[in-house]
Amino acid sequence: MRFGVGLFGLQNTAMLPAHWAGAYRDMREYAALMEELGYDELWLSEHHFFYDGYCPALLPAAASVLSVTEKLRVGTGMMLLPMQDPQRLAAVSQDIHNRSGGRLDVGVGLGYRDIEFDGHGISRKQRLPRMLKGIEVLEAAEAAGGPPIWMGAQLIDPVKRAGQRGHPILFSAALPFERCKTLTKVWEEGWVEAGRPLASKPALGALRNIWLTEDPKEREAARDWVRASYVQYAGLGWTLPAVGEHEQADFAEETDKAIADTVETTITGSAEECIRQLREFEAIGIQHIAFRLMLDGAPRPALESQIRRLADEVLPKLRDRVTA
Amino acid sequence: MRIGLVLAEGHEAELARLAEAHGLFGVMAGTGNPLTAINAAIYASTATEFVRVVTRVRLGLEHPVTIAEELSILDNVNNGRTVVLADTGDLNLEAGVDEIAVLREALSSRPIQHEGPVWKVPAGLPANATAPKSISVTPKPAQLEVPFWLTGSAAREVGDASGLPVLARDPAVLSSPNLVEPGVTAISGNLKADRELVTAWAAAGVTHLFVELPTGADLAEIMTLVSRHLAPEVLMPHFPRVMSESKVPLPWPGDVSKPGGRHQ
Repeated sequence: MRFGVGLFGLQNTAMLPAHWAGAYRDMREYAALMEELGYDELWLSEHHFFYDGYCPALLPAAASVLSVTEKLRVGTGMMLLPMQDPQRLAAVSQDIHNRSGGRLDVGVGLGYRDIEFDGHGISRKQRLPRMLKGIEVLEAAEAAGGPPIWMGAQLIDPVKRAGQRGHPILFSAALPFERCKTLTKVWEEGWVEAGRPLASKPALGALRNIWLTEDPKEREAARDWVRASYVQYAGLGWTLPAVGEHEQADFAEETDKAIADTVETTITGSAEECIRQLREFEAIGIQHIAFRLMLDGAPRPALESQIRRLADEVLPKLRDRVTA
Repeated sequence: MRIGLVLAEGHEAELARLAEAHGLFGVMAGTGNPLTAINAAIYASTATEFVRVVTRVRLGLEHPVTIAEELSILDNVNNGRTVVLADTGDLNLEAGVDEIAVLREALSSRPIQHEGPVWKVPAGLPANATAPKSISVTPKPAQLEVPFWLTGSAAREVGDASGLPVLARDPAVLSSPNLVEPGVTAISGNLKADRELVTAWAAAGVTHLFVELPTGADLAEIMTLVSRHLAPEVLMPHFPRVMSESKVPLPWPGDVSKPGGRHQ
């Protein structure tokens, strides 16, 4: 398996105030620590026009990390493709990929907030055609040596489409394991429908809320930081739609329930327990795990400590078993 | 007058680090491919702590709100050291003025509600039913107000209309008495000729002159020429040249760096 840390949104929140310039500096320092400890990937996240400065431009942020590291990969998880000119985005991505020795992963998603489309002069009605056109441009760039494409999706059709086109998915941390399992099968159906042998499929990825601790009080605090980190999705108006037997999670209208359900996705416990649960993901073909540790309320010493513990006690037991 | 360095494409980090070590006030990034100028500026920014990072941004290639967002990230990465060199590109006066206005409003600390001859922000499109009438581009830049300079074919007209400084390429055409008047020129590596060159720029009223290094120059030699001879020459009237021409102080015994080792 391969391991990363995310999601870096570089925010200054009501609950955890921070200077934005300090957040960007901190991210570079986290990246250096992650590289030293043997992590593979750092993942960024995008939103626009939110009070906390949620990072709206992932490529400059990615470049800032790649410019101070040598081995760590940086992924955009996810960049909202319909809001940008894909030709320009491809050129900028290619340049970063070249400058960094091929360490950029371009994850793209659709976006869902009206304000974000309107602020960029894009009609929300155009988001799917713009997304598909953009993917074509990025696919051509990837074929010519550009950065690998990742997809962010949680519904049947886009997940299957990603499988058909051969793009790995990075599943949201809000998706329970069973939903990841369902969607992984959907992705594999798409992969096979496109005429590819299942054995040749790339490893998929998932963000996971996780906190390695044997201390009940620390566990309680970590779960509360996860709770707090999902309050922002209530503010952003996010809804995780229903898929088959898996229920909708409406962070805007049923905030408390959606957040409480999502907190239950958190992997907590001893190293053995964390490893056991991560092996379940490995078994269904999810072999890139991004620990979702950038939590609202978690102080930096706690995050650093957790990054170190996971590197020391979990990574050595699970890594280097992936070929893709 | 202060001297800065034009960064060659693909070598931004190395050259920016060198410029800072030599005490130059700033660097200019993004003079190559206009699409990747902000990447170049990011690499210059993370390699340095103090220098101003002048970033060439070609207008008309992307929605200005997207560009403003990228510039704000840059300004937070370098903690408020960004200067935007807006290249009017193919835009005419009206389009150039409008796009500059959107960029500056988006980078201000007020919400933006802009309706100009080219851009309407937010767009108010019917399909975006829940979008509000104004938006706030975040994060805000680290500095209070990001400086904008102009270049390109419509720069002079846009500068007249907007009151922004225009990057001069010839000291003879310098016209406005702004407190900041940037310029750019190429040096040759010949001390006498380069001294005359920068002195002429200073006499014309330029305040911040960026120099392009000659192709293939020995970096240690040319940067020493810039920082020891050219920069002091124009930092005060009647510079006493004995200050730059006297014997270089001895190095610390055992120090492997060359004279002026802090510059290596």
